[in-house]
Amino acid sequence: MRGFWPIFKRELFSLFVTPLAWVLLTAFLLVQGLHFFLIVTHFANQADLAVDAGPVQSFFGQTILPYLPLLLICPLLTMRLFAEERRSGTIEALLTAPVGTTGVVLAKYMAALVTYVIMWAPTLLYLVLIQQTGEVDWRVVAASYLGVTLVGAGYLAIGTMTSAMTQSQVLAAVLSAMALVALFMLGIGEFIFTDGPLNALCAHVSVWTQMNDFSRGIVDLRRITFDATLILVPLFVAVRAVDAWRWG
Amino acid sequence: MIEVEHLSKQYGAHLAVDDISFKVDRGEIVGFLGPNGAGKSTTLRILAGFLGATRGRVRVAGYDLAEEPMKARASLGYMPETSPLYPEMRVSEYLTFRAELKLVPRGERRAAVARAMRDAGVEHVAATPIGQLSKGYRQRVGLADALVSDPPLLILDEPTAGLDPNQIREVRALVQRLGQDRTILLSTHILSEVEATCTRALVIARGRLVAEGTIEQIRAIRRPPALHVAVRGDADLALTAASAAPGVHAARTAPAPDPSPDPSPEPLLGLEIDIDPGAEAGQVTEDVVRALVEAGVGVRAITPRTESLEQVFSELTAGDPAPSAAASPPSTAASPAAPRKNRKVKR
Repeated sequence: MRGFWPIFKRELFSLFVTPLAWVLLTAFLLVQGLHFFLIVTHFANQADLAVDAGPVQSFFGQTILPYLPLLLICPLLTMRLFAEERRSGTIEALLTAPVGTTGVVLAKYMAALVTYVIMWAPTLLYLVLIQQTGEVDWRVVAASYLGVTLVGAGYLAIGTMTSAMTQSQVLAAVLSAMALVALFMLGIGEFIFTDGPLNALCAHVSVWTQMNDFSRGIVDLRRITFDATLILVPLFVAVRAVDAWRWG
Repeated sequence: MIEVEHLSKQYGAHLAVDDISFKVDRGEIVGFLGPNGAGKSTTLRILAGFLGATRGRVRVAGYDLAEEPMKARASLGYMPETSPLYPEMRVSEYLTFRAELKLVPRGERRAAVARAMRDAGVEHVAATPIGQLSKGYRQRVGLADALVSDPPLLILDEPTAGLDPNQIREVRALVQRLGQDRTILLSTHILSEVEATCTRALVIARGRLVAEGTIEQIRAIRRPPALHVAVRGDADLALTAASAAPGVHAARTAPAPDPSPDPSPEPLLGLEIDIDPGAEAGQVTEDVVRALVEAGVGVRAITPRTESLEQVFSELTAGDPAPSAAASPPSTAASPAAPRKNRKVKR
């Protein structure tokens, strides 16, 4: 893990000193703001209806709208992590310092993950607004944010892996976007295969189903195990990929 | 400080570095000389710990690169060929980042960055974003990066590439100054750079080490010492007299020197005289002059033949890499038969 802290700080600095993170942050918050507006309008118009879900559940769990931007944002956040360093040659200076490959991969990945969390952070204000007119169960909110963090962590790990596998940022972004769309489509299979093992498989990887659980405060260990696998396997491959083009 | 044993690096079917071995002792400034694509950068990248070797063993500052890579990398400062830097960072920010990465203790970091900037001459651009710097200053920042942890060993890959003549002179002076208390291995394909800065050179071609020694020794590998004599008189008489002198390996006519402003009644004749490899050049010069004078040949000028390093370099690095021809002399008048690969010259 040598070198983690300075590389992590530099990556965060690098993300926010260029326009990319700010553009993504703005676009993301525009979509989330629109989403929140629609939900609030919906509940305001149907306040007398007995429903089994409030605005928090609707915001995090009963729609795929918040997660569609992630299919684009996560690849864009991670595409430059290794690909750009390899293209510009800065990776040579980086890896000839006394740092370990694992430390480098984790530092870059964590910088992207922290940026992702920062992107979600302003949405807490929505919940503060809801609390002005009703009750918010903050344990459910915590579970929901755990859910979105785990989903993003998996997506970013896939992006980190593809960035370590190519020198082209564009190719890295396209490859990870394709992987994320494939994962997403597999989740939608839950609604196509209504029964049987395929339905179970698709439901297991479905971000919609996962977030539906988390948004109700259900923290299922099976889901956490799946997310941990989705994080650890790509990161392991990323470490091996970096070692492969160094030592191969 | 650096020990390389039978190092090879293979990319697929391409053998970029082919079984090279050499040592660099503490305090030396060694030039790693070779044409583009000879394997210089690959070798330096392996020494710096960026690439792994396919075969062979490398020890840097006493640490085996395969077994103790962190300690080995912490002992050296490496400047890659293109000085890749983060353009969005300011010079001082970048060097502070690099100092932290290279495990410079927090309390010493500021002083280390200031010292490296002073040594590399980039103090006055400390607050400038790297992206706004000229090529020359970027090279200097790369050098400051290599210096920031005050390593005992510097590995510099073409430190003057792309610089203008003034910048080249400055960097060379800096390298010489740094070499006073450090070991430096620098690669280049510019021969005058090695002559200007290095105490010793390693010549690499097609992935193989083809010569090793001081500049003078490398010159002597290809051509024995020789004299160029301008004489006046009979050519045959002069050749016979010169050939008979002790220590002369061979004598031949050569192009006559430029006409002097005070032309002699007879045209001048040029002689090229190869000296036996084992003979002492000064003594042979005396004997040749004596023999010519005694034979009634007028000696107008005598100069030792200086082989341009470019010519030696070209002969060492060009042509088919046939094992027995890689470092063999170009003519029978030259040095004894060369060993198969490395032409090591005893220092």
